[in-house]
Amino acid sequence: MDGAARADEGGIDKVLVAILGRALKAITDEMSLCMEKSTRSPILCEAKDFVTGLYDAEGRMLEQTENLPILSFSLSPVCAHIAEKFRGNVFPGDVFFHNDVFSLGNQNNDVAAFKPIFHGDVLVAWAACKGHQADIGGAVRGGYNPNATEVWQEALRIPAVKVFERGELRRDVWDLIFANIRLDIVQQDMLAEIGSCTVGERRLLELVDKYGLDVFETHKVHLFDAAQKMMEAEIRSIPDGSYSGEAKVYFDGKNPGSVYTIRVTVTVDGERIRFDYSDTDAQTNGFVNGTYTSSASATILTFLQMVNPDIPHNHGMTAPIEIVIPEGTILNAAYPAATTFGNHLCPPNADAIIRALADAVPERVTAGWNPLLCSLSTGPDPRRGGDYVDILFMGLKGGSGAMAECDGYDHIGMIDASGGILDQDYEMFEQQTPHLLIEHEYIPDSAGAGEFRGGLGVRTVYRVGGDDTQIVTFGDGDVEPAFGLFGGGDGTLNSIELRYPDGTTRRPTSKDLIPGVPAGTTYVQAAGGGGGYGDPRRRPAAQVRDEVRNGIVTRAAARELYGVVLDEETLALDEAATARLRGEA
Amino acid sequence: MSFRIGIDVGGTFTDIFVCEEGGDAETFKVLSTPRDPSIGVLEGLAAVAAAKGLTPEELAARTTSIVHGTTVTTNAVLTRGGARTGLITTRGVRDALEMRRGIRERQYDNRFRNVVPLVPRRRRHAVTGRLDYRGDEVEPLSRGDVLAAAEALARDGCEAIAICFMNAFADAVHEQEAAAIVREVCPDVALSVSTHVLPTVRFYDRVSTTVLNAYVSPVLGEYLDRLTEKLTQTGFRGVLLIMQSNGGVAAPEVTATRAAGTLLSGPAAGPEAAVAYTHEHDRRDAVLVDMGGTSFDASLVQGGAAALEAAGEIDRLRIALPMLSIVTIGAGGGSIGWVDEGGLLRMGPQSAGALPGPACYDRGGELPTCTDADLVLGYLDPAYFAGGKLPLSVENARRAIDAHIGAPLGLAVEQAAAGMYRVININMAHGVREITTRRGLDPREFPLVIAGGAGALHACMIARELGMTSLLVPRTASTLCAAGMLMSDLRHDFVRSFVTRLADADWERLRAMVAAMVAEGAGHLAAEGVSDDRVAHHVAFDLRYVKQYHEVTVPVAAEHLESADLAVIGEAFHVAHDRLYGYELRAEGTPLELINVRVRSVGRVHAPQLPRLPSGGADADGAVKGRRRVFVPESESFERVAVYDGHALAADNVVAGPALIERTDTTIFVSASFTARVDALGSCVLRCTAGEA
Repeated sequence: MDGAARADEGGIDKVLVAILGRALKAITDEMSLCMEKSTRSPILCEAKDFVTGLYDAEGRMLEQTENLPILSFSLSPVCAHIAEKFRGNVFPGDVFFHNDVFSLGNQNNDVAAFKPIFHGDVLVAWAACKGHQADIGGAVRGGYNPNATEVWQEALRIPAVKVFERGELRRDVWDLIFANIRLDIVQQDMLAEIGSCTVGERRLLELVDKYGLDVFETHKVHLFDAAQKMMEAEIRSIPDGSYSGEAKVYFDGKNPGSVYTIRVTVTVDGERIRFDYSDTDAQTNGFVNGTYTSSASATILTFLQMVNPDIPHNHGMTAPIEIVIPEGTILNAAYPAATTFGNHLCPPNADAIIRALADAVPERVTAGWNPLLCSLSTGPDPRRGGDYVDILFMGLKGGSGAMAECDGYDHIGMIDASGGILDQDYEMFEQQTPHLLIEHEYIPDSAGAGEFRGGLGVRTVYRVGGDDTQIVTFGDGDVEPAFGLFGGGDGTLNSIELRYPDGTTRRPTSKDLIPGVPAGTTYVQAAGGGGGYGDPRRRPAAQVRDEVRNGIVTRAAARELYGVVLDEETLALDEAATARLRGEA
Repeated sequence: MSFRIGIDVGGTFTDIFVCEEGGDAETFKVLSTPRDPSIGVLEGLAAVAAAKGLTPEELAARTTSIVHGTTVTTNAVLTRGGARTGLITTRGVRDALEMRRGIRERQYDNRFRNVVPLVPRRRRHAVTGRLDYRGDEVEPLSRGDVLAAAEALARDGCEAIAICFMNAFADAVHEQEAAAIVREVCPDVALSVSTHVLPTVRFYDRVSTTVLNAYVSPVLGEYLDRLTEKLTQTGFRGVLLIMQSNGGVAAPEVTATRAAGTLLSGPAAGPEAAVAYTHEHDRRDAVLVDMGGTSFDASLVQGGAAALEAAGEIDRLRIALPMLSIVTIGAGGGSIGWVDEGGLLRMGPQSAGALPGPACYDRGGELPTCTDADLVLGYLDPAYFAGGKLPLSVENARRAIDAHIGAPLGLAVEQAAAGMYRVININMAHGVREITTRRGLDPREFPLVIAGGAGALHACMIARELGMTSLLVPRTASTLCAAGMLMSDLRHDFVRSFVTRLADADWERLRAMVAAMVAEGAGHLAAEGVSDDRVAHHVAFDLRYVKQYHEVTVPVAAEHLESADLAVIGEAFHVAHDRLYGYELRAEGTPLELINVRVRSVGRVHAPQLPRLPSGGADADGAVKGRRRVFVPESESFERVAVYDGHALAADNVVAGPALIERTDTTIFVSASFTARVDALGSCVLRCTAGEA
């Protein structure tokens, strides 16, 4: 080994610790690129609804690339589960699949591939990749069955199974799985997950070869320590105390008007933080239920947005965080509940945490984010034959909440992804589905007003092509908008509407399944804006004027909400009238 | 006697490379003049003339060609100093430009803001008119809408207008109609039409690229007019060529219509020069690294040509034009060392820049930088930095390193400096990995070519980190791009979408389209005065497995295009896919889809002969100018090593490491496990002589 800074008494070279951290991140990024470039489902290659990671032999997180954070924090528990379940039965060249929500998976459609990495005979690590697959069997093409009451109506359960052993495909196991999945591209996209793990394996072995196994093992622990120290420093900077917050979940997909409450108590004690959901409402009898790992991921990703964004993502980062979610609550449903909606309980979960901590750390929290309302269309493509599945990512992305000294981010989408998933390109959308895009633009006045305004929402309109289209909706935000903070205004609501060719209109509920949508139907969706932060009348008038000129704030709203008066013709700022209205004259 | 001149205008320096016909080559550096870079160019030429004992007019009259690389377009984007630009686009999608598909690059950072769009919303006008995915008309273009938009933009004082319509890649008819109207309403506006700039599928790529093109084309046009005028005034009658991001050069008239093609042209000539030097050793592949004050660029030469990518970005704005494949990381002489909250040593990406600069510059810099570490480790001579023009303070460097690195980590100053040296070397090695292993290439199979002032102090350790055993420091390392410009071929890239299953392709129509693209390239090259025998056209397909979203570009030989040889083309695709993504689907028989067709038209230039040094035998003792105590990484200790005067070395001289070779603009550290040999072009070739890294 070459290099300079010497090892200390414990044999630790502090410089090498930093080097390893950097190298591991480069590997998971490269694994991510493999997925992005070679998968077929637009959910993966266009929206990047997947995560890649490396874990040590016991399943502790070494590093991750978290395109969609809500998927991210269940890989490590599942990896530990596989390592334990197959102890003594793991060989070089093995590959495991897993999606089972009752053995720590987060969502049925999020199917993971795990590949053990051997240095000689020694298991040193695991490479893993998990993506939202276009179909996973169950009653409804593409998943999201709002009528489900049990897991089997939602999906094929894949508890940890070995699909390759010592490099050989286990054809029987493979065929059993894919005989229960509708779309061929899922097979190919799972091959891409394995390819990504193979690239991770190649690179990690180069790293271990270079520094030696002993050095890798001893230094890895210090990487955890460094991340843990950074997280502890962040937690120490929050005043000690116990803080409570809550948020509502509207409509369980079965009982109109049903409302559930997520309640969290956050306790900060020195360098430890605890999120306790013991007072949260009981689980539903539909599919609006979380799994422990989807809910814990939501907690972690929300908290990560309140701390230094440069903390390395490994086992040490999460060590000071304790999360208590009793089984049987809406955030941790008991077997055999339906749970496909669970990832999307992240927005209300995040709201509860933000409300709890807003007064303790007002400069770190955002106002409320626009919660997800999403739709998925599937059907035969009359132009080419064959079926397509499309999640309308461009339509679901509303605005984020504003924070101190910073406006919200326009059209960023749900907090679960935080800008990590992308719109499909418009022309690719028209190549891959029979639909015609009519509009995808910012919605004026959708951002919650504030000294710092929320992010803008968007309106999406398309014309359905092809008869027998099925549209599934899932989400929230059609009852309560993203909330403002410290005098900031609320954002706007989500909505979806179908205008049929015969002139009738249907407004689906937030968890709905609409079969047989005819060609020529117009689909209209609004994704709302994020909440504002601080008194809108403190926002610089010139900034409001520019936003009116750009057509994202109306002249009426400028006057009513911001106290800014503009000339009707020229949109010039009337400073005197503005000062009077703002009570400054 | 006649001259050929390469001029590379950078942010700080304007580098000039002068080749005398059949004679010597010389390099010059003058300060850049960012407000009007043509002033610096003329000043530089005056300096060249003075050195040659000529008047500027005499030099100009004897210069047969000038190849010029400029960053005026790059700077216009980075400083938002481009033209006042308007966009005319399809009704319903005018915000795509600003949305950037809804990405936030830093997911956990709620203070990370979106990029300010080059065209504000009030200057993005929507018009009625629509084609479908095949180019069939769904709704006719509203001429009234286009007219109103053009008039509004003209009233608003726009100097440039971009036109980009949905699905125009499939049929340009609406865009052409709109362009005619805009030309009539505002004939003086610089007009960029998406199907001219980039006729390929993917709306966001096209609108972003077209707007970038509109935004910078007046800037480039005016600059080139100014420069041409000044050169003409001094009596220059030769050929002026402009460097492009694709590693080729083109006439100013061609460049001005595709201004976005110069946005990343800064480092694009480097690989061409690198291969000119490695060619001496029969190597047509190389990794080129260029370490400057704030950033480190890594690029790739394959098969004697710069490796290119189909797209990239500038300031987080998408630009989908072929450009040099390059990885830039925040690592340079000015990179600041720091210890994070978890106690990990980090280097950069923050840089002390030129002001206050590294602590050792003694200009008020308090934070320890890479240059400070290099000084403490003995690699730099405090009295010979920049040829002695800038004395360095070892005391300041030690104090800064001790306070910010040594004390927090409990390390002695030298150990702390060695740690900084090592971390930044690792960071740079990762940059090299991104350009090699990420593309499925093994860096160990490439020689490492080093450019830039600071690179040669770190090169041995970067190479060791990657297991690379062969390094080359060209004689013109500090002005490599200027030299490369004279060696760069004329090059024009064309791409058009042709979406079909490969097996079902209409080859007759496909060949006709390729022929049209080739004819366009041939036309450009003919206008640039290239004779037919020096022209070649290269065809490539962007292919994917059916239902994939991203393509792999595969070269297609003329005979396989002619014979529609699916087997050969398919096999090339499978191999590339496996290399890149860890698997292929040959056995499954998955059909292939063609998305885009690319044509690159190349006019080979007569590259200047690099001057050769006489042999001086292996013995280099005559060039030793002293000895200095330096840190030797292999032994983790300080040793006294010989310091050679780089200007006194002759071809075939051998310098065994550890040793230093100093030139006025570069210092090479030959570490203990390397031996350097000077080649006939004056390059130092370093080979690893000992154990595995």
